[in-house]
Amino acid sequence: MTATQEPTAVTHGGTKPAYKYIGSDRKRVEDPRLLVGRGGYVADMKMQGLLHAAILRSPLPHARIASIDTSGAEAIPGVIAVLTGEDCKAHMNPCMNFGPSTISQYPIAVDKVRYVGECVAVVVAESRYVAEDGIEALEVEFDELPAVTNPHAALEPDAALLHDEHGSNLGYERTFEFGDITKALDDAHLVVSDTLHWGRSAGMPMETSGAIARPGTNGVLEVYCNSLNFSYLQFLVAGALRIPSNKLKMQPVAAGGSFGSKFTAHKVPTLAAFLALRTGRPVSYVEDRLDHLMNSDHHASDRYYEARMGFTEDGMITGLDVDVVDDYGAYLQFGVGTHGNALSQATGPYRFRDLRYKLRAALTNKCQQGAYRGFGSEVHNWVLERLVEQGAKKLGLAPEEIRRRNFIQPEEFPYKIPGGNVYDSGNYPEVLDRALSMIDVEHWRREKKRLREEEGRYIGLGIATTQERSVFSSTEFWFWFDEPAFPITSSPESATITIDPAGQFQLLLHCQAMWGNSPETVSTTVLAEEFGVEPESVNVSYADTSRALPGTGPGGSRYTVMVAGAVRGASRKLKKKLIDIAAHSLEVSADDLELVDGRVQVVGAPERSLGIPDLAASAYFFALNLPPGMESGLEEAYTYDHPYTTLPSADRSDLGVFYPIMGHACHIAVMEVDPDTGRCSFLDYVAVHDAGTVVNPKSLGGHVTGGSAQGLGTSLYEELAYDTEGQFNSATFLDYLVPSANEVPPFRIGHVETPSPYTEYGIKGGGEGGRMVTPSVVSAAVDDALAEYGMHVQELPVRPATIVETVQDAIDARQ
Amino acid sequence: MTTAENPATATDTRTITLLVNGREVTRAVSTRTTLSDFLREDLDLVSVHLGCEHGVCGCCTVLFDGESVRACLMLAVQARGHEVETVESLSADQNDLHPIQQSFAEEQGLQCGFCTPAMVLRAKEILADGRERSDAEVRSDISGILCRCTGYQNIVNAVQNAGRKLSRGANGGAGTHDGVGTSAVDGAETEQATDIDRAPGFDGPAGTEQRG
Amino acid sequence: MKPPRFLYCDPDTLEEAVALKSQHEFDALVLAGGQSLMPMLNMRLAGPEVLIDINGVTDLQHIGRINGTLEIGAGVRQSVLEAHSEAAVAVPLIAAAMPHIGHIENRHRGTVGGSIAHADAAAELPCTAVTLDAVIVVRSERGERQIAATDFFQGFLTNACEPDELVVAIRYPVTSPTAGSAFTEFARREGDFALASAGAVAEVDADGRFTSVAIGVGSITTKPVRARAIEEALLGRAATSDVIKDAARQIGDAVTLSSDMHATSRYRRHLATTVVTRAVAAAAADAQNRSAS
Repeated sequence: MTATQEPTAVTHGGTKPAYKYIGSDRKRVEDPRLLVGRGGYVADMKMQGLLHAAILRSPLPHARIASIDTSGAEAIPGVIAVLTGEDCKAHMNPCMNFGPSTISQYPIAVDKVRYVGECVAVVVAESRYVAEDGIEALEVEFDELPAVTNPHAALEPDAALLHDEHGSNLGYERTFEFGDITKALDDAHLVVSDTLHWGRSAGMPMETSGAIARPGTNGVLEVYCNSLNFSYLQFLVAGALRIPSNKLKMQPVAAGGSFGSKFTAHKVPTLAAFLALRTGRPVSYVEDRLDHLMNSDHHASDRYYEARMGFTEDGMITGLDVDVVDDYGAYLQFGVGTHGNALSQATGPYRFRDLRYKLRAALTNKCQQGAYRGFGSEVHNWVLERLVEQGAKKLGLAPEEIRRRNFIQPEEFPYKIPGGNVYDSGNYPEVLDRALSMIDVEHWRREKKRLREEEGRYIGLGIATTQERSVFSSTEFWFWFDEPAFPITSSPESATITIDPAGQFQLLLHCQAMWGNSPETVSTTVLAEEFGVEPESVNVSYADTSRALPGTGPGGSRYTVMVAGAVRGASRKLKKKLIDIAAHSLEVSADDLELVDGRVQVVGAPERSLGIPDLAASAYFFALNLPPGMESGLEEAYTYDHPYTTLPSADRSDLGVFYPIMGHACHIAVMEVDPDTGRCSFLDYVAVHDAGTVVNPKSLGGHVTGGSAQGLGTSLYEELAYDTEGQFNSATFLDYLVPSANEVPPFRIGHVETPSPYTEYGIKGGGEGGRMVTPSVVSAAVDDALAEYGMHVQELPVRPATIVETVQDAIDARQ
Repeated sequence: MTTAENPATATDTRTITLLVNGREVTRAVSTRTTLSDFLREDLDLVSVHLGCEHGVCGCCTVLFDGESVRACLMLAVQARGHEVETVESLSADQNDLHPIQQSFAEEQGLQCGFCTPAMVLRAKEILADGRERSDAEVRSDISGILCRCTGYQNIVNAVQNAGRKLSRGANGGAGTHDGVGTSAVDGAETEQATDIDRAPGFDGPAGTEQRG
Repeated sequence: MKPPRFLYCDPDTLEEAVALKSQHEFDALVLAGGQSLMPMLNMRLAGPEVLIDINGVTDLQHIGRINGTLEIGAGVRQSVLEAHSEAAVAVPLIAAAMPHIGHIENRHRGTVGGSIAHADAAAELPCTAVTLDAVIVVRSERGERQIAATDFFQGFLTNACEPDELVVAIRYPVTSPTAGSAFTEFARREGDFALASAGAVAEVDADGRFTSVAIGVGSITTKPVRARAIEEALLGRAATSDVIKDAARQIGDAVTLSSDMHATSRYRRHLATTVVTRAVAAAAADAQNRSAS
């Protein structure tokens, strides 16, 4: 295998070309159908003879399943089947899994339950109502086992084992060191350290995961689902089901939000497929909210850090030492990819060279973890910014000043960070300056003092700057392992453009369907830019896996960049064909023709032209008008591979380039904290992001705002909480606190555009950014508001109780 | 599916007549069928989305005798003799949207669309009085419906935009259902770097504990 | 999350409803606004054999003054009470508390009697009932009883009704026009159940001293309680913030709820003090405004 070398930079010439469609606040093409309530979600599908499944969720965190009496359920009229782990053991293979093979998982627990909420049995019935009646009639005997809930205790030798085959509760361990961290910290003028805990939350879309599976013709099993990156992973689902991959057709269905929660979410479609295979009937399994909260495909990061950072006397960062224990829950389906994300921007926007990153993945009796907006990089951002904040305080530097001193400078790009990833481009001082221009921090610093003295109010200011990596390469799935089972290097995206015989455009995308992002708006905007037709006139559809070209789907802020590349590539091929047909018809050289506003015309003589419908008619109906040897029809496909990725070195001293399209953001928040209730509110909030060339400012602003709101939830409200016994305390939306409009402030958004030299149009991904910054800025602002009480946020979410107790402790200590 | 033939649910079935989106409908329903399931399954009004089925997320919001309610917290049989409106009552035609729906499109007050019908219905309800609303008022008004995508700002903008559109329509201006072409706020900027002392939309801390 | 099977009854009259409750007793649950019961049915935390839907009982829909009290029928929607100007004048504490109950979508459907009967220690209406010495009117085929609010709420989601009894009305004593009222609560999100709440009604004399004060506190124990010791400590004292804060401190001792994911017990003690302090201060300020005007 050879590594891809640094690609030739696409020249953007310093100034952005004038685009007709790209860069304007156009309305989204997805919206009209959504506004009339016809989003086409999986639960909206009707099907003849459709059965419905409900699951029995484990009431215990850790137990052997001694027996399951299904007779009561089976006796209920309308119950069709009851399935248990025994059926899985007999008729399927373990689910897809990026972790060690000694940690296997089925969609129904086999032999043991390992967390509260894990699926113990499934009832398939004529309605969901009856299926739930069946669940109530099941009788299960468990032999309870000790619950392992503390990730540090889980790693002790005497801890109960979750997976006997694995031999320990250590799912994974590795230390990466780049540079000489010992020396960097020894030589530092100041070393700050912190113990931090990032609590467990999740993407928690308003629509849960769901799938309908139907035995179709030719022995093909059709699965309609709102999850999974199936054209990438469909064969793994087929493998779990023990059917040939060409007998499993997965059709993407629009999702009511994902934010990572549906990214490679395999349990739901695999379960629906298994039920359809066992019953021979179409079966729907749509999680209800309790299923989703307790037994979703994955919760998100739950990490405990010991971290240190060194500084020179004038505030230059010398190095970062991170020791993280990640509470992975009961399974390790994702491997440790969320930490690969952290390593892609481990040094943030700063210039230091020495880094150590030690990871231990602990297995505990909790739901497994996986993706959530930021994919683990947002956690590392928070740790990094917490340490920078502390350094600034101890060195007497303003938060903006310490960052400015450490920024990688615009002329230093492309910039290779310790660990090997490359940052493509950026202008961090400009982003900071832009944010500072939108809010008068000196005014607020005066106000903070005045309001404290005159009104007894507590105001705090937070500033954070953060990287927003985008466009992942699949090498991050395996560089963790010295002998990876499947060292994949592809992460492509495809598009097929068809001009039909009447000259109308069809655009086929080969990814998961719309998840709340704007794949159709982005792809039709690019198509419009290339052909000069109105985006709204293009019909977009999504390939099922029987037709799909290579695709990876949304995730890691990649889709806008990747689909733009795919659509532009397909456009180039199709435009060439149109021009060749026109050249033949007009009897001119193809070099003398150009495509302008939907017509092919002679350069300098636009009156000599042919419209796309004329050319389409030729392509479909008048073969004798085509150039000799040309195929009839007007359809071109293009698969756009990752624009810039390289292999890791064999010894992993260099992880290669795997996340090079690097955005950046600066958020500034002014918060008020009530020390007697712990209430946190916002007086102002600005968020400036650089996601390269902006395709649609309003859409990008919407993603920044939405991501920031989620970051706010992670910071102050949301918690998937297990108690020390392993019971789950967040089983309803009364306890898992998704912020409402009352909790979310009016974020003021700014954009800076530093195009990527490596992507089409210079676009960078920007879908995850908000959430990658908000926790840092909220933590800093809360600390600042209550600095006189020694407030120091070490755990998210920051609970009101923590705030009030910190203040009370300080008051008690003074007395 | 809650058909009368279903042996498990046929034990207690009622025939109900109600007004749905202006039309009288009569159906036999199992008495344990929720209103949300009845609208979705029996009447195919799949705009009523099930987000939590315990009355918190608000995605199943419908107007019941003109007032917003959680359809998951009602039984279908309780709607007998009442009027129910879903988002289809504004417009079910993607090519001829109601001004409120148009405003949501113009302001991108939606992303995944799952809370959207509820938000649009709630907007209709609150805008009925024709009063202009501040950012903070709209936030409070829509706080019973959770949106996970937008961070709410574009929804707030959409509701305010719709209010202006509807009041122009009421005054015989351009804002009629059929006549509205372009957004009233096409020129609005996503960032406002000028008014630094008092940020737009920040009405000061509206304390949960400060009311009353 | 779908409701289990039950026998559904929807009486048109109070007599029919009472007869059904007498007939089925423990086997029956009463469906009022459904904002608490329906989630429990959907989650199958409740599984009644019989569901008595009282939404069609028009006898329960009245609001009016009777013998110095404001009587509110059990079936009155919370949003109707919230918008009822006469009720707001008669018992200002109700108007202050209503917006805190869930969200408007809940109040459009939720009923006054449903909230009272559900007897949630964190709910607003039970707290107002205790604060104001309201009387709960319950009826069975054996007759009608009036139960003082402080006796009605007995513990975690437990009320004093016999299994054949139905809550039919709540009677609030009409508040003196010179009294000030305030309701204060703190929830993690607006609309959530309060982590601590307090209702206060107070009168102050020309010297700014408390001549009467009533304080009810929610969400600190398994039922809403009166803070009588604080009331006594405040009577005759000047309504200054220091006095109020000092007196309010002892509410911390009444907190019995143990720590949960939203509130440690230590935090809840401090929060209870805070909401009581703020409610009493606001009620006193309201009283002074009323005297001035």
